[in-house]
Amino acid sequence: MIEQLDALLAQLDALQERALRELETINSSAELEDWDVRYLGRHRGELKNFSTLIPKLGKAERPVIGQKINAVKEKLESALEARRQELRDRELREALERERLDVTLPGRALPAGHMHPISRTILEVARIFTRMGFQVVQGPEIETDYYNFQALNIPVDHPARDMQDTFWVVPGEILLRTQTSPMQIRVMQTTRPPVRVIVPGKVFRHEAIDASHEAMFHQIEGLLVDERCTMADLKGSLARFAREMFGEDRRVRFRGSYFPFTEPSAEVDIDCILCKGSGCRLCKYSGWLEILGSGMVHPRVLREVGYDPHKYRGYAFGMGVERIAMLKYAIGEIRLFSGNDLRFLRQF
Amino acid sequence: MRVPLSWLKEYVEITQSPQELAHTLTMAGLEVETLDYIGTDWGDRIITAQITHLEKVPGSDHLSYTRVNTGSGEIGVICGAPNIKEGDKVPLALPGARIGDLTIGVARKMGYVSEGMLCSPRELGLGSDHSGIYILDPETPLGVKLADLLSDVVLEFAIKAHRGDLSSIIGIAREVAALTHKPLRLPEPRFNEQGQPAAELVKVTVEDTALCPRYSARVISGVKIGPSPGWMARRLLMAGMRPINLIVDITNYVMLEVGQPLHAFDYDLVREHHIIVRRARDGEEITTLDGVQRRLRNDMLLITDPQGPTAIAGVMGSAISEVNEGTTRILLESANFRPASVRRTAVALGLRTESSSRFEKGLDPELTIFGANRAAQLMAELAGGQVHPGIVDVYPQPVEARSILFSPAEVEWLTGLKVTSRQVHEALSALEFKVEEVSAAADAFGGEQLLRVTVPTFRGDIEEGADLVEEVLRMIGYDQLPATVPEGPLPEPQSDHWFEREYEIREILIGLGLHEILTYAMTSRQRMLNLLAEVNAQTAQVLLQKPADDGQAGWVIAGAQARGGSENGFASDSREPFDARSLPAVTIANPLSNELECMRLTLLSGLMETLQENSKRNRAGLRLFEIGRRYLPRGAGELPEERRCAGIALCGPAAISWVPELARPADFYDLKGIVETLLERLHIQRYRFSAAQHPTFHPGRCALLEVGVGRPDADDGERFTPVGFLGEVHPLVQQRYDLPHRAYLCELDLEILYAAVPERLNYAPISRHQELTRDLAVVVDQQVPARAVQEAIERHGGELLRTVALFDVYTGAPIPPGKKSLTYTLLYQAQDRTLTDAEANALQERIVAALAEEFGAVLRS
Repeated sequence: MIEQLDALLAQLDALQERALRELETINSSAELEDWDVRYLGRHRGELKNFSTLIPKLGKAERPVIGQKINAVKEKLESALEARRQELRDRELREALERERLDVTLPGRALPAGHMHPISRTILEVARIFTRMGFQVVQGPEIETDYYNFQALNIPVDHPARDMQDTFWVVPGEILLRTQTSPMQIRVMQTTRPPVRVIVPGKVFRHEAIDASHEAMFHQIEGLLVDERCTMADLKGSLARFAREMFGEDRRVRFRGSYFPFTEPSAEVDIDCILCKGSGCRLCKYSGWLEILGSGMVHPRVLREVGYDPHKYRGYAFGMGVERIAMLKYAIGEIRLFSGNDLRFLRQF
Repeated sequence: MRVPLSWLKEYVEITQSPQELAHTLTMAGLEVETLDYIGTDWGDRIITAQITHLEKVPGSDHLSYTRVNTGSGEIGVICGAPNIKEGDKVPLALPGARIGDLTIGVARKMGYVSEGMLCSPRELGLGSDHSGIYILDPETPLGVKLADLLSDVVLEFAIKAHRGDLSSIIGIAREVAALTHKPLRLPEPRFNEQGQPAAELVKVTVEDTALCPRYSARVISGVKIGPSPGWMARRLLMAGMRPINLIVDITNYVMLEVGQPLHAFDYDLVREHHIIVRRARDGEEITTLDGVQRRLRNDMLLITDPQGPTAIAGVMGSAISEVNEGTTRILLESANFRPASVRRTAVALGLRTESSSRFEKGLDPELTIFGANRAAQLMAELAGGQVHPGIVDVYPQPVEARSILFSPAEVEWLTGLKVTSRQVHEALSALEFKVEEVSAAADAFGGEQLLRVTVPTFRGDIEEGADLVEEVLRMIGYDQLPATVPEGPLPEPQSDHWFEREYEIREILIGLGLHEILTYAMTSRQRMLNLLAEVNAQTAQVLLQKPADDGQAGWVIAGAQARGGSENGFASDSREPFDARSLPAVTIANPLSNELECMRLTLLSGLMETLQENSKRNRAGLRLFEIGRRYLPRGAGELPEERRCAGIALCGPAAISWVPELARPADFYDLKGIVETLLERLHIQRYRFSAAQHPTFHPGRCALLEVGVGRPDADDGERFTPVGFLGEVHPLVQQRYDLPHRAYLCELDLEILYAAVPERLNYAPISRHQELTRDLAVVVDQQVPARAVQEAIERHGGELLRTVALFDVYTGAPIPPGKKSLTYTLLYQAQDRTLTDAEANALQERIVAALAEEFGAVLRS
């Protein structure tokens, strides 16, 4: 009986070894199912065949064989499961490999549009000043002589008119506005202080067009009127603007100037954004860049709109948007803005 | 205004370097535009020399051969200038010298050897005179480096419009003196007067004292006309003027020095020796010194004698009484003219002179005597003139020095800069203001000290406190201003939101892949008419179309009423050839060119032109938009209407791409899709597109967009108002722009568009009940608009029909010819209960029946 037992155990060992060896070579789930039926099949599986021998064995041998069969079964089942997992993994891997894309092909992007650099600059300036409590208003681009000149202390036959060569619609009466300043008058005529507005918009000058002159360009006007504003506030506001627009370390310089509608008037420079003040071609070796004109609203202008110049004070400034954009984006040629060359526009 | 430093130093001590001086003046508002270093590039190869011998070069009409003494020898030089003679001292450039880009060498020409070059003022950088060789002072030593004699620095100023007093060397010197705390040294004209008094020699009548507040005249006799001394010629050259003859040069020299324009008449040519200052008669004529005959107007002021005009006051003289070689007696005019009048005259005649540019900025009437005396002195000293006693001075209303009560506290009130009364006193005194202290109670600016400030008569620009604040600030320095933050109250909202709206549109369109462009608001009528397939009075009207002011349906023609035309505006027979000039755009009276002669009526021409320009260098397609205004004419004298619009243009594929959908050229539905997305983003729900005709567009591929304005439940109900057209550009129009693909255009009136944007968004609760989906495929005639079918489905589906979406449009077998199949998916849902299949089926049947009845639609099996 012992010999028989030993022979059975040896057969089981051999079975296990054969089954495992075979399992190693299996490469598809179909074969795997075959193998499962062949060895572990509930009815005709080889292991099952051993189980049917058990009743014929002696009482003492039965548990030995039974345990051995169970051990082989567990071994094969776990090997099957492992192999199954391995195959699943491999099949997934292969499937994924087959679906590999050239991720370096361009995407199906909807081409992006671009904002014109002038719109972009106006928006940026407007955001800086709205953070300081200013509101954005716009005005007519075709104006009367009164709003564009006379109300701003530029009477008929005043030489300051030379500073702004004018396109006339009706000579002496209706014109293409030469500056955004007429909105100073329109705003003050329709509201009482406090006033804090900025006015972006198109302006027109009768000038020959060249690398630094345009017949149509853009300005942003600023106006603040209340009972306590001073020129020091103007300087502080513009210094903040310069830092936000051109960098935290920008310095601002005020120097004397003349505008008919401000008194005192100041030209505002920033230290050169290229050379930081040491002198270069951009700043014509002065270390400074002129960015805008400004001043305290002229008492005549205040009186013109019915504000008492002993009660109210105000500051005003005006900047050329093209100038700001040219400095900000290192653009050397003003005509690019109206040229609408896509190779230019796409860069913004 | 060019100011040679050497000249400036005559009136004020200058210890700063030229750069430091320029900075000081620039900071104080006298902007130095350039520092012109004269002579730094001359080196040691340009020397003084004297012409010892001069002969004509045979066979040449203008060349001379000269022998010149260089101080250490004699060399030969060929010269082409007409003005040299033996004995003249001249600048000589020796071989190796550089004149501009030219290096002087030894040249052989027509049998002569030329070992150098004689130089003109322009060649030396001494002004613009190139009419001849620069003749040096007879006392000039020979063989000396020119740089040692003549090098200088010229400060060039842009004189602001309010400071006529600065248009002179002395005016600038006065500022330098005040800013650097140095005394100003004024010349004191001294000369002997003898002979018959001027008052007996000349009569002056000023008929219009408003335009000529003062006329002062002197008489100088026995003058010899000749060239000016070298020092004077050199100063004139460096200041940018050309020496002419001694008398004229003296008047120019004194104008540059003291700022008073002068005019020297030949006394003997002034008929009856009578100067009459009067307005011109309309149509009167004068030939000015530049040889131009000019027609005058009644608002122009003339200097005349009893027989006619001799000069345009303050602008330019005429040849009639001009100083000439035979002149011996001078009638010297030193007058003051009204700035506005001189300016108006100079502008009207297109004649801006050194004199007129000074007068129009405003000059001090008190300056005439000083100017006349200074010139008389120089004529006596340099021209051997005899100055006749006295000045004929017509000055009916002498100017009074303005006096201003000024509170030093106003400086801090207006600028935030703390200053003491003493600082204010000093600053103003330095500028020659007279300052007296006046005791006073607290004033408007919180100060307790008042000053009575007397303004010098040459400072006509100073009128009130704010002007004095600026003067104090200039003296103390703008760099002393503190920087603070405005602390006043914030204003009430007052914006009309258009700024935000325009940027909202920008962001949406950029998100849809469109590039923003910005074109000129000026264009020409012809450029706009290029947009019309066929140009006639009828079709041209679309350029003037705008939504009605009251938001009613339909278009109106801008300005039609004002033009008194029929309802259609500029009426003319549509069969007549159309004259572009009859298009009533806003015309620019003085355009830069014919291409920019009027204001645009549409954004579309700028878009088409931009497509055209970019298509030459762009293989990918173009997707552009512009936000701007149309300028529509109103009545005469009225400002035009400016309508805010957005224009869109598509042409060609969205991109050069391997993705077929992106590489496909744009078509009508791309454009419409963009517009629909825009509407969606703006939450505009009530709108409709309908087939339309427009002379710019393909007759079968053009739609009109209208939006619902007003509320359906309001008294006047909801109205559909036109916003704009979109479509494929008509092939005849397309041809004119030479585009590689079909172009699609759209122009939307933003004001109407925003009128349709709901004021607020209302959340509708999401139904928790089950939704039922049904597909519906119907076959209808090809001509039936999809919108009509969709609207019918919506109408008959009622409120239980939540959404309808078209997902297939099909023609071809097995659909019969002339028919199309439309397939929709319909979603039914109730807000308050679960819908049964039976209910959905019933609705579906109702819809099918209605479509059959309205469109003859057949259910597709």
